Amino acid sequence: MMRHGGRSDKRSDRGTRLELQSVAGPRLLANMSPRKGTCIVVGASSGIGLALARRLAQSQRKVAMLARREGELEAQAALINESLANEFAKAYVHDVADVDAAEGLFDRIEAELGDVDELHFVAGVMPEVGPDEFDLGKDRLQVQVNFLGAVAWCNAAARRFQARKRGCIVGVTSVAQDRGRIGRPVYNASKAGMDTYLEALRNRLWRVGVQVTTIRPGFVETPMTAGLRLKGAIPADKAAELILGARDGGKAIAYVPRKWRLIMFVIRNIPSFVFRKLSI
Amino acid sequence: MTTSTSPPTADALPVPWRDESVMGFGMSVGGPAKVFRPQSVEEVAAAFGDVRRQGASLALRGAGCSYGDASTNRNGHVLDLTGMNSILSFDPATGVAECEPGVTVRDLWKRSIAHGYWPRVVSGTMQVSMGGAAAMNIHGKNNYRLGAFGEGVRSFELMTPKGELVRCSREQNADLFHAAIGGFGMLGCFTKLEIETKRVHSGRLRVWGIVAKDLDHNFEILEDLHGEADYLVSWVDLHATGASLGRGLMHRADQMKPGEDPDGLRFYDPALQDVPSTILGLVPKGWLWPGMWCAVKFGQVGLVNWLKFQAGFREERQSPYLQTHGAFHFLLDYVPRWQWMTKPGGLIQFQPFVPKAEGPQVLRRLIEICQRDGHVPYLGVLKKHKPDPFLMTHALDGYSMAMDICVSKNTSKRDSLWRTCREMADVVLDAGGRFYYAKDAVLMESSFSRLHGGDAVAQFRALKQRWDPEGMFQTDLSRRMGV
Repeated sequence: MMRHGGRSDKRSDRGTRLELQSVAGPRLLANMSPRKGTCIVVGASSGIGLALARRLAQSQRKVAMLARREGELEAQAALINESLANEFAKAYVHDVADVDAAEGLFDRIEAELGDVDELHFVAGVMPEVGPDEFDLGKDRLQVQVNFLGAVAWCNAAARRFQARKRGCIVGVTSVAQDRGRIGRPVYNASKAGMDTYLEALRNRLWRVGVQVTTIRPGFVETPMTAGLRLKGAIPADKAAELILGARDGGKAIAYVPRKWRLIMFVIRNIPSFVFRKLSI
Repeated sequence: MTTSTSPPTADALPVPWRDESVMGFGMSVGGPAKVFRPQSVEEVAAAFGDVRRQGASLALRGAGCSYGDASTNRNGHVLDLTGMNSILSFDPATGVAECEPGVTVRDLWKRSIAHGYWPRVVSGTMQVSMGGAAAMNIHGKNNYRLGAFGEGVRSFELMTPKGELVRCSREQNADLFHAAIGGFGMLGCFTKLEIETKRVHSGRLRVWGIVAKDLDHNFEILEDLHGEADYLVSWVDLHATGASLGRGLMHRADQMKPGEDPDGLRFYDPALQDVPSTILGLVPKGWLWPGMWCAVKFGQVGLVNWLKFQAGFREERQSPYLQTHGAFHFLLDYVPRWQWMTKPGGLIQFQPFVPKAEGPQVLRRLIEICQRDGHVPYLGVLKKHKPDPFLMTHALDGYSMAMDICVSKNTSKRDSLWRTCREMADVVLDAGGRFYYAKDAVLMESSFSRLHGGDAVAQFRALKQRWDPEGMFQTDLSRRMGV
């Protein structure tokens, strides 16, 4: 089963590269910057963000770890530094919903840790929403964190990276952005908004050599998905490995793991009059 | 003075007891009982009230991992606490977890390793519960260094038969604290435990396999390394005779120092710690036990042990290697349902603890008795121990040898095995040794005072009289030992 899935992944991946090259020119997006500047990981206290921060620190990069929960964040940054016996990680307590604070904090991070050349936006909220629930409070929070928060941080990075003509922005959206489904309307919409925004950003910035990579994760074992019993979920560390692989490969859009490209191709092509009758 | 909160008022609730067969992990002892699985402290109190009204007996049971009859109660009531399995809090700054009694070692490490902590003491399986681990005061491969499970318990709340909650720690109700830990569920039911974990600096351990050519060599390695190694455990081939009697493979594991294993950082991801569920990514391990059953059935256990010993030389050449905490500790979880290989008779485990000076000679004598009577254990595990401050402790300054023995359905063979074990028990008790109730199935009433000493037994009985005067808490074990 798994092997079969693996083969079809490769095929679809080859398709992606061709598509990318014809649009963006040969290897324009890959390995633009020598990777040694400071990284920012927004949403770094758990799950994929934490796994990314650990892998970036392990590759000897300075990492600004951002998250809302102070105790968890400080402890995770301390654990990274203790394990590596070096000060690679620094915790910055920040609520992504506070979008006006992003610019100032970006400056502070650059002042304290040096020029940033890599931003990973991984923060996201996915509250439980009942099938007959239309709660503006929950919906506003999702738009604020998942979409506006991403815009605030990516804008701040894009402005600087554009001026410096180098840098890399990785935004983690979701396979959930591909369709509007009955389960979580605003989660889907906020991730779709972020995904489209990232595409626009990519189209703006590739001309000056700045890479923008969109990551669409499928099932990953994280605290956010802990209650969902997802079959075939991959470890958060594996997701981080694939994300950094997509970054190094200069990918525009990467499904993590890759088999989700095929799954979502099928799901995207289900006609609307059929899709509305399904429970997925 | 005790601090107790008023009992939750749930006396009138009907308790849905269910008739079930409740067996020890070894499947060789146990029997029918009325079982209830509470979800809350109130339901525990209601169950206590119900059993007291009926004047019946009640056994407390966690995950049911005790090999013998420590959590069984033939024709009585059993309170199964696996439903109370929430980690109420975990402090990432100190690594202290507040757990309900049914939280398993697996639940705990899954939470703690993500923050760079590992439970201080874990057993060879991650299925055991916190309540059960505290009640039996379990030990791990680091007993000679960090002591037993109880040394990492900061405090707990204990519900007495009257439904009172008593808070115990080293400062508060210290006598009850030191007696309930290791008190095999005779004094009360843990409803909440505060458990310490320890800091680690990598998600992996550095592991060595060391071939021990005979029993004395095993002891030599234990004595040479116990000052520096964090974990030491030896697998012993109990089928070997003559000059190689007691040969085996010692495993040593050390924790990493800060900065020693940068790549180990990513192994804090709990999903990378789990024991793999397939062999070579193909064969589900759940299917392995029938093969092992055949080895037992056709008398090839000696051959299997020989092969494992030979494989030890290869492992020694490849040492040291890096292994995740989970993969190193939970050997018993590598083959799910492995105990089924001993069906239909099941198994018992005989684990004597022997003082340091007498250890080598007594354990050699025990192996010889097993081999003489034809009850050769299919597995032997040698560990080093240190004493601890708990009243009914099994630990001492010395060694233990866990011996897993298949039990026959044939009554005369079974009786012969019990006779052999009792002869071995006499040898151990004569040498001032001890036993561990999570494992035992064969000791008799006369051993109780010999095992713990008269003073400890008198103190324990006084506490039992004070907290459980009607003798509500009983198990097949407690009746067998005449507690």
